[in-house]
Amino acid sequence: MTFHLRFWLNGQEVRTEVEPDETLLWVLRERLNMTGTKVGCEAGDCGACTVLLDGRPVTSCLLLAPKAHGRHVVTIEGLGSPAKLHPLQQAFITYGALQCGFCGPGMLLSAAALLTQNPHPTEREVREAIAGNLCRCTGYQKIVQAILAVSRGEVP
Amino acid sequence: MTVITRPAPPPVVEEAAEGAVGKRKSRHDALLQVTGQALYGVDMKAPGMLWAKAVRSPYPHARIVRIDPTRALSIPGVACVITARDIPHNRYGFTHQDQRVLADDRVRYVGEAVAVVAAETLRVATEAAKEVVVEYEPLPAVFDPIEAMQPGAPQVHEGGNIAARLHIRDGDVERGFSEAEIIVEEEFRTPFVEHCHLEPHAALAIPGPQGTLTIYSSVQRPFLVASDVAKVLSMPLSHVRVVATSVGGGFGGKNEMTLEPWVGLLALRTGRPVKMVFTREEEFQATTVRHPYRMRYRTGVRRDGTLVARSVEIISDCGAYVSWGASTLAKACIHAAGPYVIPHVKIEGFLVYTNNPVGGAMRGFGVPQVGFAYECHTDSVAAAVGMDPITFRLRNGLRDGCRLPTGQVLERVTLHQTLQRALELAGWERGAVP
Amino acid sequence: MKKRGRGVAWMFYPIGFTAYANPSAAFVKVNQDGSAVVWTGATDVGQGSTTALAQIAADALGIPVELVTMVTSDTLQTPMDIGSVASRVTYIAGNAIVRACEMAKQILFEVASEELGIGPEGLESRNGWIFVRDFPERRVRLAEIARKAEVVKGRPVIGAGSYNPPTTFLDPETGHGKPYNTYVYAAQVAEVEVDTETGEVKVLRIAAVHDCGRAINPLLVEGQIEGGVAMGLGYALSEEMVLQEGRVLNTKLADYLVPTSLDVPPIDVEIVEVPDPTGPFGAKGIGEPSLLPTAPAIVNAIYDAVGVRIRELPATPERILMALREKEKEQPGRSVRDREDGRPEK
Ligand code: FES
Ligand code: FES
Repeated sequence: MTFHLRFWLNGQEVRTEVEPDETLLWVLRERLNMTGTKVGCEAGDCGACTVLLDGRPVTSCLLLAPKAHGRHVVTIEGLGSPAKLHPLQQAFITYGALQCGFCGPGMLLSAAALLTQNPHPTEREVREAIAGNLCRCTGYQKIVQAILAVSRGEVP
Repeated sequence: MTVITRPAPPPVVEEAAEGAVGKRKSRHDALLQVTGQALYGVDMKAPGMLWAKAVRSPYPHARIVRIDPTRALSIPGVACVITARDIPHNRYGFTHQDQRVLADDRVRYVGEAVAVVAAETLRVATEAAKEVVVEYEPLPAVFDPIEAMQPGAPQVHEGGNIAARLHIRDGDVERGFSEAEIIVEEEFRTPFVEHCHLEPHAALAIPGPQGTLTIYSSVQRPFLVASDVAKVLSMPLSHVRVVATSVGGGFGGKNEMTLEPWVGLLALRTGRPVKMVFTREEEFQATTVRHPYRMRYRTGVRRDGTLVARSVEIISDCGAYVSWGASTLAKACIHAAGPYVIPHVKIEGFLVYTNNPVGGAMRGFGVPQVGFAYECHTDSVAAAVGMDPITFRLRNGLRDGCRLPTGQVLERVTLHQTLQRALELAGWERGAVP
Repeated sequence: MKKRGRGVAWMFYPIGFTAYANPSAAFVKVNQDGSAVVWTGATDVGQGSTTALAQIAADALGIPVELVTMVTSDTLQTPMDIGSVASRVTYIAGNAIVRACEMAKQILFEVASEELGIGPEGLESRNGWIFVRDFPERRVRLAEIARKAEVVKGRPVIGAGSYNPPTTFLDPETGHGKPYNTYVYAAQVAEVEVDTETGEVKVLRIAAVHDCGRAINPLLVEGQIEGGVAMGLGYALSEEMVLQEGRVLNTKLADYLVPTSLDVPPIDVEIVEVPDPTGPFGAKGIGEPSLLPTAPAIVNAIYDAVGVRIRELPATPERILMALREKEKEQPGRSVRDREDGRPEK
């Protein structure tokens, strides 16, 4: 029993056949070969697999792919491109926000969702917005600085 | 895909005043990271790739009576099952060659791998792993290192449960304690800790011509993995190539061979690329952890706050195999007395086998355990002589030319400087460096 | 009631393996256009070694870092490196790269010495120029010399180097020896707030001052310290695998608590730079030491706040409450500051 999934991925229409119990994470990484979205626990605990579903951050490892049917999904590949970086991406580079970088895609999307909703968050609000995105490397300090810098329009 | 990183575009060569050292440069691969293009172990793929899944022991200690993969092999999509019998040289380890690539006669911890299945999809591999029949005969197990040291305790390996012992002596500790005016004794304990690198262990093995093998792995030590894989699979080292992918964190958890020989052998057997990724549950249950330590500190001090003697006893829960246990214990013992001038020191360390998860390398390698103990103990000792912890540290801390219990003399010691600056940064007035 | 306290801890930590050989090797070539390729077996596991090693290579050759391409961590295509462990890569792989670059530079300087009319020992290179040390205005582009060396002189500009820190094993009887070649130092101060009703500890701020020798890249060094502090905070307060007969009961990141962005406080970082003449450009290392003082500083701060000494990590709310109750039993009605722990009976 396959499901004919149709959704908008980074602005492009995508059609693919999936098993009804496959997660969006699996479909992205294994069927569509979009490995920018990372996988750290497959239990909704680490945030590495965060994507935007209709603008909201969701852990794609918990989202069954059919639930994305007809909806808009943004992954890290759609946030910006090497030629035209999103300000958050630029800030993460400049501020040294990432070390191993594995939390980065999910972290960036959570941050992007925050700034869309709340362009001038407090530090506390930034920390709350990324509380579901674990980072084992950085201690979050430079990540928080980078996000705040973007919110203040200070990204070089 | 060797990791080659170069920034673009190169600027015009002009006479900038200074060089690159000391500059706040962004990571070479930052652009790849923020755009999701960096390729980690979990991202590696190859056409025709199989997925592998391990069959793991539910028992902490058991004899393996029989392994029967027949049912698993009959499942459509299953390509191969390997067990200990398929491993040409089933022993490895750094200081102790006690580890098995796959358990042979016995399993010694919950989660120890006994077989690995390769199949067309991860789903089939996972299903098939459940269908590998393993008959166990449970054995008495031991989970407490103190109990494990007692006579008559269940033996994790032949030759007793004390896997390693170490001692360091400097001065005459008995005399030192007799000269002390106050003696403070405390016991400290630390827990099992998991590295929790965000990216799990992941590897892809690709068979090449003439029995060669390339393994892409999320690993901190590709050269160690290559030589260990060559050894356990009895292959010429020149036939094994290991490439570290982008690594999603390691912290010591990716310090050694884990899944590489499995995917390697499965790739050779099937002639197809084989990929494997550990689940988070496997990371916790079946990969190395930070050793729990029990540490007894005894310190003799004069009323004026001068340290005269210290003895430390460390018991490290090794888990079922030594891995980096002996090396971490050595580093712990060398640093156990702390960064203090103490004329009479005795350190004693025991590494004890149990049927717990295997302790390995983790950031700090034995020293975070003793560091917690010696620094909390320092505050207790300071309190016992009625000194504030800062003055006490400044009085007894190592300085240039001081000698460690190993006899090593230190240079360029900046302890006092770093403490002074940390206090200033924290806005702490009292206890300024004299 | 919420009570605040401050605690300190310091540490010393060695760079490299304990006594065992732990070498790194490196290859380098300088291309005709003055760019360079460095081959190192060192693996960047997030700590930033590839970036720092490129900076070292750039200055060792005297070219802009943007012209350095790094090829890393491939047992077929790069020379041996024992691995990204023991806080050793900047120091040991860095030294190997400096040596490889010195060899390549010797070729460049020999070719340049004809042009500049002085022996190679009187030359230096920086930012793409080779110049006479005592008359820096007498200079020639490094790229020009690299081209000339390869195309005219038939001497491709290459180098190889390796480094292994000199150490000795511990004597099995006494435990004496010199197992490490160099050490780093650090101190941290923690400020906490303890809720005496719930036993919960909130870390308000950490000041972390680390000597890593020369900081090749302060941005990355700060990152290592901040990340280490977070890991130390987890060690102090929340991280513990719960085992029952060898089985781990908390195998999910929801049950095993790695610090989140809400748990890690602002961290004041300062780097003390005391260059070590045995390190590349005076550098030592930073990876592991960053987490060491954090847990004891926090636990000492808890004592300062509420007068109980936690001797078993992590200092969970349950353990703190238990210790508070214990203390209350021992000395009913006395204020928490009255009894200094560890003091012998009078
Ligand atoms: S992989 Fe989805 S939350 Fe961890
Ligand atoms: S940078 Fe490694 S997990 Fe965040």
